[in-house]
Amino acid sequence: MNHQLLHIFRNSPLGRETLLQSIYFSKQVKVTPVVYIPKFTKFLMYFENDVVQIDLDDSYLMSQDTALEHATELLEQAGVEPRFFDPKHYTASTLPDIHTNFDYMSCPRSISDLSSKIGLGYIGPRVRRIVKSAQFPVLITSPVYKKWESIAVFFGGSVNAFNALKLGFRICRISGMLLDVFTLVENKSQESYEKLITDEDLEKEMSRYVNKWHFLKNRTLGENLYDVPHNALVVLGAYGHHLLKTFVFGSKMEKIQSTISNNLLIVGPNYTAVI
Amino acid sequence: MRIFQSWRYPANWTIFRLDDRLLLILVAIIVGSCSGLASVVLNRLLMVMFNWFHDLRHYWWIFVLPAIGAALSSLFLEKVVKEGAGHGVPEVIYSVSRYGGLLRFRSSFSRLISSALTIGSGGSAGPEAPVVISGAAIGSNIAKYFSLNDRQRITLVGCGAAGAISSIFNAPIAGMVFAIEVIIGEWKSVNIVPIAIASVAGTEISRILQGNQIPFSHRLFNISHMDILACVGLAVLTAAASILLTRLLRFMDKISKKLPAPLWIRAAIGGCAVGLIGLFLPEVLGKGYHEVQTMIEGAFSQGLAIVGLVTIAKIVATALTLGWGGSGGIFAPCLVIGCLAGLTYHHCLALLWPSVSWVNEGCFALLGMAGLISGMLQAPLTGIFLIVEITGGYEVILPLIIVSAISTTLCHYIEPAAYYMKELVEYGHLLRPGTDARVLSDLNVSELIEKDCIAVTQNMLLRDFISIVKKSHRNYFPVEDEETGHFMGIIHLDDIRQYLFNPVMYDTVFLGQIMNTRVEVVDPDDDLADVIRKMDANRLFSMPVVINNRFIGLISKGNLLDQYRRELMVQTSQSV
Amino acid sequence: MKMTIHEVARCLNLHVSTIERWIRQGKIPIQKTGNGYLFGESALKKWAAMYRLPFLIPEKVKSLGYEEKPENLLSAMKRGGVLHDLKGDDVETALKFAVENMPVLSKTSKKELYQLLLERERLTSTGIGKGVAIPHPRDPLSDALKSPVISTCFLEKPIDFGAVDDRPVFVMFILLSQSIKIHLHLLSRFSFCVRDNSFVEFLKTSPDEAAFFAKIADFEKQLDRADT
Repeated sequence: MNHQLLHIFRNSPLGRETLLQSIYFSKQVKVTPVVYIPKFTKFLMYFENDVVQIDLDDSYLMSQDTALEHATELLEQAGVEPRFFDPKHYTASTLPDIHTNFDYMSCPRSISDLSSKIGLGYIGPRVRRIVKSAQFPVLITSPVYKKWESIAVFFGGSVNAFNALKLGFRICRISGMLLDVFTLVENKSQESYEKLITDEDLEKEMSRYVNKWHFLKNRTLGENLYDVPHNALVVLGAYGHHLLKTFVFGSKMEKIQSTISNNLLIVGPNYTAVI
Repeated sequence: MRIFQSWRYPANWTIFRLDDRLLLILVAIIVGSCSGLASVVLNRLLMVMFNWFHDLRHYWWIFVLPAIGAALSSLFLEKVVKEGAGHGVPEVIYSVSRYGGLLRFRSSFSRLISSALTIGSGGSAGPEAPVVISGAAIGSNIAKYFSLNDRQRITLVGCGAAGAISSIFNAPIAGMVFAIEVIIGEWKSVNIVPIAIASVAGTEISRILQGNQIPFSHRLFNISHMDILACVGLAVLTAAASILLTRLLRFMDKISKKLPAPLWIRAAIGGCAVGLIGLFLPEVLGKGYHEVQTMIEGAFSQGLAIVGLVTIAKIVATALTLGWGGSGGIFAPCLVIGCLAGLTYHHCLALLWPSVSWVNEGCFALLGMAGLISGMLQAPLTGIFLIVEITGGYEVILPLIIVSAISTTLCHYIEPAAYYMKELVEYGHLLRPGTDARVLSDLNVSELIEKDCIAVTQNMLLRDFISIVKKSHRNYFPVEDEETGHFMGIIHLDDIRQYLFNPVMYDTVFLGQIMNTRVEVVDPDDDLADVIRKMDANRLFSMPVVINNRFIGLISKGNLLDQYRRELMVQTSQSV
Repeated sequence: MKMTIHEVARCLNLHVSTIERWIRQGKIPIQKTGNGYLFGESALKKWAAMYRLPFLIPEKVKSLGYEEKPENLLSAMKRGGVLHDLKGDDVETALKFAVENMPVLSKTSKKELYQLLLERERLTSTGIGKGVAIPHPRDPLSDALKSPVISTCFLEKPIDFGAVDDRPVFVMFILLSQSIKIHLHLLSRFSFCVRDNSFVEFLKTSPDEAAFFAKIADFEKQLDRADT
């Protein structure tokens, strides 16, 4: 497999958890982790129609001399050949460019803030912008390394939800784990969701990959999300609806990510999924 | 709802889909106005700061003021907006070369503030480069907002730069020429038209808000033939001055980097030194437009020694300010140094040939400015048009062209890359459209991979291999490990041709024995220029592309030529 | 008809990622809309012509390839038929009888074919050894055949053909094809059969049509296996 996952290494216990999570993901999904050990506190990612500057905090630069060693050790323990990313171009002498044709990227919930600030329900603004402009799904790791043993896809019917669903199929196919689909039923009926699947010609895949389709009808979100297994990789789409609608009603992604602590794989609007 | 969505994608409207020129012109008006506004804001800021500090000029401790300003500006850039190091304009050209002009939103205001701090407090720098960056970033972000493509975005970046220069100098043609000559580097009507419009918009904004005035108006000059001859000497002098300035800037940059101190301390040291010079020669402080005005009017009544000293001092002060980490551009210092150089030259002439009636010293000051701008930027057209417009002196056009041309040429001999381009050229980032480097950087390895190779395994007999050769269209066969699928080596038909016709070897030779294991491989993320360099160095026609020890495909010069040519055709055709 | 950008890429003979990059860079008149692309086929054609890029609709490419699809021996031999006990004492008469008895051709083209065969024999003999000859015209016939033809002619008595191994020829395969490429293709397949000595022995028994075709079909199977 020549698919690659970008990981930005932080040489700290917290960073170790994140890297372990990335390695686990890579092994399940059969991608190669590519590790970037930052040498400056900032870097640029040039996407198709946006450029995002990522400002790291100083903890990313801590004890640089051992960073390479630590990362290599973790990777080798997992039996993965260490691959490191070395930026080729620099926008300014302290501002390296990181190219963006990776297939996945792993992020902590917040790239730039201190670990004390990382709580549930908080996704840093830069992680958001990466999700919004990236052509790859972003893996937002749980704070502590946790193996996941099944896949849970949230499907709400938007274009991005279809992408998330297809990505779920793909991961299911590669990793061979059980895939459950969850739908938060709001005003529409269960049949209307099923009709959406029929319209998109995904029935065959649905029956082939999906273990069970849950329709969550409880009153509160917390109750609903209790049904999601704690050890599942949650795949969901972000920014699926129109800007205005999100502005008024809030995004479903926000609600979900603030309630559960699973590993999240978030699909942005620029990602096009292939099963 | 639908309208709300679609107005952000104007490029998809039916009227703009087939021809986006009209769209670009409309957006160019917005971009030009915004960047014009940005430069007016900076101008006002500088004026306010100048008035604040003007009354303090006579205190002895005033020399720390530039230090405080420079330190604050450096802190602001480093800690608040977290801009990378570097003075900005190269960053714009870099982004235009490599990333379709994508610029960060923060660039659209960061340098305005930091340069206001540096220059307002007395640092010797100019406000032009900061407004160019701001304008360019505004253009880029407006393009981003409307989801325009790279080509349109690059044009709008140029529009922003043009609007900014036009507005700050009240010089539309100079703005237009600067954007095309320095920022975009491509003279095509698709670019020129929107940029011209943006220049008009920028100039108009500045005229509405600040009034229509020529920055450095002057009396009429009567230029004789002798004066034109004397221009040659002036050109040499300005070329020398610009090379001195370039070298000194780089030298200062180098020693400041060796100093083990935070950036803001370095900036403060530089500022302090400038302040000290300023105590004795206040002419070197700030952007110095007031001095330019006096010199052009011929009212700068100092002797040769003083003028010469001030010239050197201004060069040193500029190098100290910018080289040690202050924020600002070299445009304004160039104008001042040019003026001073012109004045020095005039005094020398008057001393050597007192009997000749030379033209007014203001004229030489004016020509000096053109010489220095042309020499530093190595953009003769920008120099010529800028000076003509900011002085309103069309009658000096002939000597102006001579000085600009000679100065550019001389500087080019000694410093092959202009001040802005120096770093870009060093790292191979200056990729003008239609050049080899640009075509190669646009293409990437994954577009050139040919996948119709048949893989073989190392334990295969030559006999079995021959039946594979029959089916294959290619001369190369990758050898893979049976179990892991790892790439082991490659078989090139040329290498084994002699064995192919020897039936005795068919059942005795394994492919593992005849494959070439020491092959240069390509990673799909490699730069194509490097790949070609490797091919040329090893006289290869094809190279295998390998990721993670797995063979992906082949990259060959034949296919490369095909793609290269198409890319070049699409990039350079003049019909659009 | 609505095209996808994959089809556009195929028309331009470019990689899809090149097209995607051109769209991003604004070099090609295609607009991106969310997760789709927006373009007109005629506008694209105009654009391609302006930049002198080849723009071929893939259907045309396909039909071009179809024409050249290789034939196999069996069908050609069935078309050509099998003749037993052909009379003739030398090359000329044997060929004359053979051509006259061929089932497919018109009278005029038979005359032409005979001349062409003789011409070819004059250059060098088509006796390829082991008593087998494959007379054929050097260039394809003027009124092009739709498909290749092989006529199998078992001779009444072996004749001297001036073959490479000087052995008298007892069987002729007259090989006609519409293009050189098919000719070579069939020749290569046929020579595979003749290389097998048991096949030559089998031919010497002057087998009847059904047994002969069965044998050929057998060889064809072997050949196809080796190819894949």
